[in-house]
Amino acid sequence: MIHVRGLAKEYADLKRGKFAALAGISFDAYPGEIYGLLGPNGAGKTTALRIISTVLRPTDGTATVNGFDVLTQPSQVRHQIGFMSANTGVYDRMTAWEMVEFFGQLYGLSDDVLRPRMEDLFTRLKMNDIRDQLGAKMSTGMKQKVSIARALVHDPPVLIFDEATSGLDVLVARALLNAVAELRDQGKCVVFSTHIMREAEKLCNRLAIMYRGHILAEGTLEELRDKHKENDLEELFFRLISDHERSRVEAGDADENAAVALEVIPPSVKP
Amino acid sequence: MKWPNIRRILVREVRDQMRDRRTLFMIFVLPLMLYPLLGMSLMQVTQFIREQPTRVLLLGFREPAGFPKLVRGDADGTQHFADELFSKVEEVRLLRLELEATDLPEKEAEAHGKKLVQDGAYEAVLYFPQDFNKQLSAFREQLRKLDADDSPQAKLMQPVVPSPTVFFNTANEKSQLAYRRLRDVLDQWSDAIGQQNLASRNLPATTARPFEFTNDDVAEADQRRGALWAKILPFLLLIWALTGAFYPAIDLCAGEKERGTLETLLSSPAERTEIVWGKLLTVMLFSVVTAVLNILSMGVTGALALAKMNTEGGGDLFGAPPPLAPIWLFIALLPMSALFSALCIALASIARSTKEGQYYLMPLVLVTMPLVILPMAPGVELNLGMSLIPVTGVVLLLKMMLEGQYWEVLRYALPVAAVTGSCCLLAIRWAVDQFNSENVLFRESERGGLGTWFKHLLRDREDTPNVANSVFCGVLILTVYFFMSFGMDPPKDFNGFLRHAIVTQVVVVLTPALLMTVIATRSPRQTLLLRKSHWAAVPAAMLLALALHPTALLLNYLLQTLYPVNPALLQLSATLEGGSPWLLAAVLALTPAVCEELAFRGFILSGFRRLGHTWRAIALTSLFFALSHGSIMQQAISAGLLGLVIGYIAVQSGSIFPGMAFHAVHNGSAVLLTSWVAQYVIPDKHWHWVAEENPPGFIGIGYHPLIIAGGIVVAGAILRWFSRLPHPLSYEEELQEAIRERDQAVA
Repeated sequence: MIHVRGLAKEYADLKRGKFAALAGISFDAYPGEIYGLLGPNGAGKTTALRIISTVLRPTDGTATVNGFDVLTQPSQVRHQIGFMSANTGVYDRMTAWEMVEFFGQLYGLSDDVLRPRMEDLFTRLKMNDIRDQLGAKMSTGMKQKVSIARALVHDPPVLIFDEATSGLDVLVARALLNAVAELRDQGKCVVFSTHIMREAEKLCNRLAIMYRGHILAEGTLEELRDKHKENDLEELFFRLISDHERSRVEAGDADENAAVALEVIPPSVKP
Repeated sequence: MKWPNIRRILVREVRDQMRDRRTLFMIFVLPLMLYPLLGMSLMQVTQFIREQPTRVLLLGFREPAGFPKLVRGDADGTQHFADELFSKVEEVRLLRLELEATDLPEKEAEAHGKKLVQDGAYEAVLYFPQDFNKQLSAFREQLRKLDADDSPQAKLMQPVVPSPTVFFNTANEKSQLAYRRLRDVLDQWSDAIGQQNLASRNLPATTARPFEFTNDDVAEADQRRGALWAKILPFLLLIWALTGAFYPAIDLCAGEKERGTLETLLSSPAERTEIVWGKLLTVMLFSVVTAVLNILSMGVTGALALAKMNTEGGGDLFGAPPPLAPIWLFIALLPMSALFSALCIALASIARSTKEGQYYLMPLVLVTMPLVILPMAPGVELNLGMSLIPVTGVVLLLKMMLEGQYWEVLRYALPVAAVTGSCCLLAIRWAVDQFNSENVLFRESERGGLGTWFKHLLRDREDTPNVANSVFCGVLILTVYFFMSFGMDPPKDFNGFLRHAIVTQVVVVLTPALLMTVIATRSPRQTLLLRKSHWAAVPAAMLLALALHPTALLLNYLLQTLYPVNPALLQLSATLEGGSPWLLAAVLALTPAVCEELAFRGFILSGFRRLGHTWRAIALTSLFFALSHGSIMQQAISAGLLGLVIGYIAVQSGSIFPGMAFHAVHNGSAVLLTSWVAQYVIPDKHWHWVAEENPPGFIGIGYHPLIIAGGIVVAGAILRWFSRLPHPLSYEEELQEAIRERDQAVA
């Protein structure tokens, strides 16, 4: 469903110069599974997902979504996906109903398809009481629901959630995770990025651990545990990062972040 | 691009704006309240100024006996200028008069008067020299004697009446007002004395002024009003169209970034072009509504105020604007709103926040204002040249429509529409490009001073320059050119001209480009296209230049008919007469061929090619090339067109050398071939038909249409050959090519 090959993205930074937000990552995600991108802030998760959702263009590599190329067929790709991130806000001066309707129309849904689907979505997501509420007056949880409804309105085969639970309280986050799991069960291909181990552990069928634009390890949770002989995902995560930083220090490529990263690694896993 | 999506975005944005109290206030409430309030306060203020009395001191004045009175006293002891010296009696009291006698010598008295005005004790001081009365009487006595004595000596003895001096202060408005009033009074008094003098010699008062002229303004009241409104309305209309576009544009672009909804929209299936068009139409709608409401509100307020003033006796100078004015205004408003809206959207999309967006208003106003004000200058009329200047052309056209000169309007409507339409399309294109640029949409604030920036420039340079480098280089060339034109005296003789040409090319054009190449790129060879081309490309380019030579001369002639020939150009050709044409050709052909080609088709074109659109890159390079020839309008336009051809040759051949060859032959033939034809071919009895001198007042020669047409056919064939050459593309161009191919395959 999603095939990513050697995807790279360079940014020009005034201080650091050119730096690779993505250093040629490759992965595949299939229908009926949640593919997790787990990594700390700055690992390149958002960049990767923005490229897949055609908001950004890669500097190298390719990505296809349901057979469509993100670089040469961006419009078709956008029809295949529902994209939701911490950066995809809700319009302040639009009601929940208007907002979902607006995006449904942009996806080219006719009124007789759109209306029943919206009724269904609003009921399923328990949004009927905020139907006529303006975005500006909504709580974070309500906004998140509207965003989910907006991403689902055209019933896309692929769903991309980028740090979707960030800033949510426990109850809202749990509801969102349940909704994501439900989508997987409906046969959707879901890509879910997070920096919270618990979420990744609980939700994802397969995981890629990302750090500094690289995928350090990939596989199902069991595969990762077996391969790295570590049952605790958090420990595993830190060890991978620590190894990566250490190799950078050895290669003379480290900066002040390497020291910080090595500092936070728990003593038990330090060699 | 799908229209339903544009409509959806438009409807959403309009609804969004209508729910914003700030926008509603700016667009609907402010204009409705602004003008009545403004009108009210203005009327108060004018009343205040009109009735403001000014204090005037008469220093050293004594009423001369036997002459018309200048000053009269009231029963209460106050003194004022004589009523008969005023056309309106109520103005008498506006000059509050005080008298001060003085025995001071003239110099000291003048210093005293001056000081009183400087200190603000009086708005004006009128000083009468001590012997003023005596000389005035002596003058009259002399006149009387002249009747008896007609000898030339008697005429020579006429005494000179010393002038009274008015001290006033132009830095003070009130003092200027006092001066104007005082001047009128003194004029009247002087006339009255003159008439008395005439009467004393038994001459009628009409001796000094044997006739009065009467005037008859042939303009109908409508036309007079039209002319007046034609000055005001276009200005106001465009200013409000710009303001009305700006604030919604900031909210729709920068505001959306700030509120975090832009990414939501970008990840939707709406194409960037559809998003821009939806937003553009919204902004345009608000721009039009703002302008219309403001003009309406101003019109109603103005009409009421004027009706009041007219009933008070102001005549019909100011009246309602011409009845068709609303239609003309609306027709002109639409393209202008479109242009301003596209510019505002492009600018506002650069801003990260609404606050940052507000900063961009000033540069936009600064660029637009001269174009709007230029047509207001006296003597500026709509001609073909003016009609080609963006915004200015529309203002002039609108002015003519309001003045009722419809026939003239018809003549220039097409060029104005073409220029305005092209500008609109370019601006819209720019806005769409902004929305396609990640750097613009996801720009984050970066800290760093000049040092960091310079380090970044050196460290992160690539093989070829980027777009920003090219723009910077172009602007740098133009800036150096601007300052050099002040620093260097215009050449006085032939050798001076040659020196001037070489120095300008090397310092202004070549040096910045080479410096930028060294600083900003890693591969000077690739940047400056220092590569071998197809063996036939150089001779083909030379032949192309020769083939286009007759067309270039025709173009020059047409441009001279459009824009009056710059006197500088005529002076220049006079300077060049008598010099060796070979030397001139060598300098004019070789220096620009090397310097300008390396700078424009080398550095600047390489940078613009990173845009991914070859023709856009060529056009932008040509624009800078034209601007660098900007001191002479005709030269700038032909350079711009020439730039398109050379740019194409450079891209297709992948090398700088064919362009250099073309440039050298083009410039060389303009000097050598032209003078050879003028000298030997035109006078020849067999070959005279080939060309003829341009009519007097125009520089150059013109070829026979058959030769021009033949040249165009040959040029077409050569360009076709160039179009088939395999040529290297930039990465961005390859990407665009791939997208195009894919689109075609899908279609």
